Amino acid sequence: MRAILKKARADILSRPMISLLIVVTVATSATLLTLALATLMNLSAPYEQAFEELNAAHAWIYLDRERVGRRDVERIESLPGVAQSTGLRYYMTTRADLRGNRVPVSFRAIPLETPQVNQLLLEEGRHLLPHQTELLASTDLDDLYKLSVGEIIGFTRADGKKVSLPVTGLAYNPMWDTYRNDQPPYIYVSEETLRQLHPDESTWGWSMGLRLNNPQATEKIIEDIETALHGDVVESYTDWHDVKRAAVFGARVNFIFLSAFAFFAIVATVLVIASSIGSIVLSQFKQIGILKTLGFTGNQILWLYLTEYLILSLFATPVGLLLGVALSPLPLKSVAASLNTTFQPPLTIPLAALVLGAVPGVVVVATLGAAYRGARANIIKSMAIGAEAPRKRSSRGIRLTARLGLPIVFALGLNDLFAKPFRSIMTGFNLVLGVMGIVFGLTLNETLETYRARPALMGIVQDAMVTRRRTSDRKTRHLLREAPGVEAFYSEALLDVESEPGQSFQVRAIEGDLAAFPFQIQEGRFFRPDTHEAVVGRGLLNWLGLEIGDELTITFDEGPNRPATWRIVGQYPEPTNSGEMMMVSLPTATRWVRGAEPDTYFLRLVEGSRTAHLKEYLKHASDEDLNVMLTKEAIPDDVLSLQFAIFALAVILIGIALINVFNTSLLAMQEKTRDIGILKTLGMTPNQVMAMLNTSAGLLGLIAALTGIPLGFALTQRLLGTLSETYGFGEVHTALNLLYVGLLVPLMIVVSIAGSVFPGRRAAGLSIVTVLRDE
Amino acid sequence: MISLVKTDDLRKTYRTGSVAYEALKGVSMDIAAGDFITVMGHSGSGKSTLLHLVGGLDRPTSGSVKVADHALHIMSEAALARFRRRNIGFVFQFFNLIDNLTVRANVELPGLLSNGRSRSALRERSDGLLRQLGIADQAEKHPWQLSGGQQQRVAIARALINHPTLLLVDEPTGNLDSTSSETVLEILDACHSEGQTILMVTHDPRAAARGQHVFFLHDGRILDQTAGGSAGRIGRRLAEMG
Repeated sequence: MRAILKKARADILSRPMISLLIVVTVATSATLLTLALATLMNLSAPYEQAFEELNAAHAWIYLDRERVGRRDVERIESLPGVAQSTGLRYYMTTRADLRGNRVPVSFRAIPLETPQVNQLLLEEGRHLLPHQTELLASTDLDDLYKLSVGEIIGFTRADGKKVSLPVTGLAYNPMWDTYRNDQPPYIYVSEETLRQLHPDESTWGWSMGLRLNNPQATEKIIEDIETALHGDVVESYTDWHDVKRAAVFGARVNFIFLSAFAFFAIVATVLVIASSIGSIVLSQFKQIGILKTLGFTGNQILWLYLTEYLILSLFATPVGLLLGVALSPLPLKSVAASLNTTFQPPLTIPLAALVLGAVPGVVVVATLGAAYRGARANIIKSMAIGAEAPRKRSSRGIRLTARLGLPIVFALGLNDLFAKPFRSIMTGFNLVLGVMGIVFGLTLNETLETYRARPALMGIVQDAMVTRRRTSDRKTRHLLREAPGVEAFYSEALLDVESEPGQSFQVRAIEGDLAAFPFQIQEGRFFRPDTHEAVVGRGLLNWLGLEIGDELTITFDEGPNRPATWRIVGQYPEPTNSGEMMMVSLPTATRWVRGAEPDTYFLRLVEGSRTAHLKEYLKHASDEDLNVMLTKEAIPDDVLSLQFAIFALAVILIGIALINVFNTSLLAMQEKTRDIGILKTLGMTPNQVMAMLNTSAGLLGLIAALTGIPLGFALTQRLLGTLSETYGFGEVHTALNLLYVGLLVPLMIVVSIAGSVFPGRRAAGLSIVTVLRDE
Repeated sequence: MISLVKTDDLRKTYRTGSVAYEALKGVSMDIAAGDFITVMGHSGSGKSTLLHLVGGLDRPTSGSVKVADHALHIMSEAALARFRRRNIGFVFQFFNLIDNLTVRANVELPGLLSNGRSRSALRERSDGLLRQLGIADQAEKHPWQLSGGQQQRVAIARALINHPTLLLVDEPTGNLDSTSSETVLEILDACHSEGQTILMVTHDPRAAARGQHVFFLHDGRILDQTAGGSAGRIGRRLAEMG
């Protein structure tokens, strides 16, 4: 064993560049694996940490004011399942004037002292002060409008007077559900300020947050409340599970992509190790023969190579592990940043054991094949030939290039690929992985661009949206018909329904110039107006286990409690509520929900029309009631940062591929030293030597690009399709820019050649005499 | 006499760390076109070093070497490569064939390295050489599938493919049995009789006896030169040198 260790040490130190590059490759794989595992193990940890620190409510209930009195609030608080309560909290929905936009917001009155339950996490600025007319804004408003502390937001008081309130801080509410909340973003004010703005308490909504003895029993507590108060007193409620799910959504997407890249990186490492050791064993065949002559057994040769790579991986893996742990807050940033925590995933024993076990294990597996070949090498042959006999078909490259009329140096370079097919495949596959990573990023980029250019693909068919409050539906329609620049519009009433088994979801009941809007139907067809036909989101189909053509019986919450049956005739891309929505004809829906009136209007604008005119017209005509929102940025910021992360990871994969090309070229050069010496003797110039080695590398790059592009595109399609299916969106229109694809091919050739330039230069500078003398 | 190879006070010192080893200590020689010169000497006498310098594989530490009016000692690396390709044919003791190329590809290789050479003419030349050397039937085999004698014949064919001005031969029989050695030497004789200039280094007196002139190299210096002679006489002279 001492002999093995001594020789292993000498081998590692005598090839410092290759050893270093293998260490880098293994460490990169370990880093990516650590990142993926740490993300998986801590997906919800930042939220949970914040949830506990803020003593957040498990259920936030909205009470029906007509059925509940103040004493009922006390009865709710004294229910056995309730551990703590926020007490009664007032709220009211209004509009804010924010940088020229009239945006819906929800005023939430909060106590000035820190509450026991559901504290707010102040991310910037300060808390509210007594007797000051000021506000705290929800971090969601910041995400939407990039608010800053000190900014002024305008409001209209109940008496019609305009007031301006400064933003003192930005705060995160642990019970704010980004995805499922039917409330607009929160503005926190003191009760005193709320009273100043809207003194009529009867216009205030009532809500309260409850901390439960059993956090899982949110549904049970709602039942208990309604039982205790003898009626349907809870209008709606927010379940902390949904909030948590929404909060970790971003991290989960990060995990999926990180896992894919960690898998790629590990495969790439296997390829690097397998091709490197393969080349090393081949180049050391003579040495293996000498070692065997000296008494090394086959098993000892096997152990020699296993030990060498095990030593390198045992050095590199902990480095990668530590680096991964240091970087692990980044994938969780989408959660942690919103919570203003710098959550650091801990270095746990299972995490360390998995990484420290898996990576060296993979390295050993990758080493075994080539090491075994070395172990069973014939002594005499090894000593005499110095390398394995080449394959008989290895003149294929020569014949091919002769047919194409290419210079001999290309032929020799091409011949190398055929002469060592296993190593060529390993290196080529490694480059393919890098190309796949880049194509992954490019496809995602192009797909996002496509969706940004055609929001209809995402289910966003309008150019602008108008919401009303005081203005009647009839007047709103009239104004929109007269409004400048409006080509067509349809109206929507959002109705709450329940399926027969009790699943609650929302229905978009619409009416208007529907034909003018580019509704995308991914399966089936659009519904015919005034019929009981419906189109639904993919998420609803999946959730309810339905298919196109099925019937769905629902009961409207606001209706006479009579079930109505709709036939599902199509599926459309629903961008909200995880696709768990249904779209029906409004005139049909109003047969079941008397008085259901639309309050949202979707507009198609005349191309090139001035939206400022439209805004101004509606503002004046509706006495500032109608609010216009233009469809602008449909792609969320976190998706764009994810896109950047994917490119960064693809660059890492290309880096690993580059290391492999470098290693392979360097080892090929060492292995071919004798051949290069002979070729130079025969008159090959240094440039021709470089061209020969670069041809092998460049050709590998070309093959990798041509293989990796379709594979990467197919993989991305599959992955995005799966993600989309999971989140109820339906079919995804993936796209890839042919120009980028065209550029990727020469880029990969250049990248690949870049990896062989240094070994090529070394080969070109070899002294013929030294080579021949060494022979 | 037209001088094809001329060396003047040729010296070569190898350095390994601080240790210097002087392989050639001022060799001056003249070889006329069409000569068959053999260089005799024991191991370490500097025979191969001399061959490498004349072939432009290495550069002298001092002195000059001219081949076909080209001053090799001042040429660039790339120019030397082109010079070797056009003017020199090498035959080595260990054949030095490229294992993953067929016999035909090995033979054609130096021709293919030169741009602008007609492929059909090259094929014709290689076929002719392979036939002439009796290995035409081995053309599609790989070197490792041939015997030592056959491999050396492939190496000779490769050396002759570009009609070299000078054929440099390094211990051509050192790795062959007596029958194969005889065949190889006969081939070299035949080449010489067709006008090929040959410089061969060897320590085999029978091989050296094939040359018109024999140079005796000892300890980096030319001690003596004779106009041919029998293998026995050459062997005795070599033995006298110790």
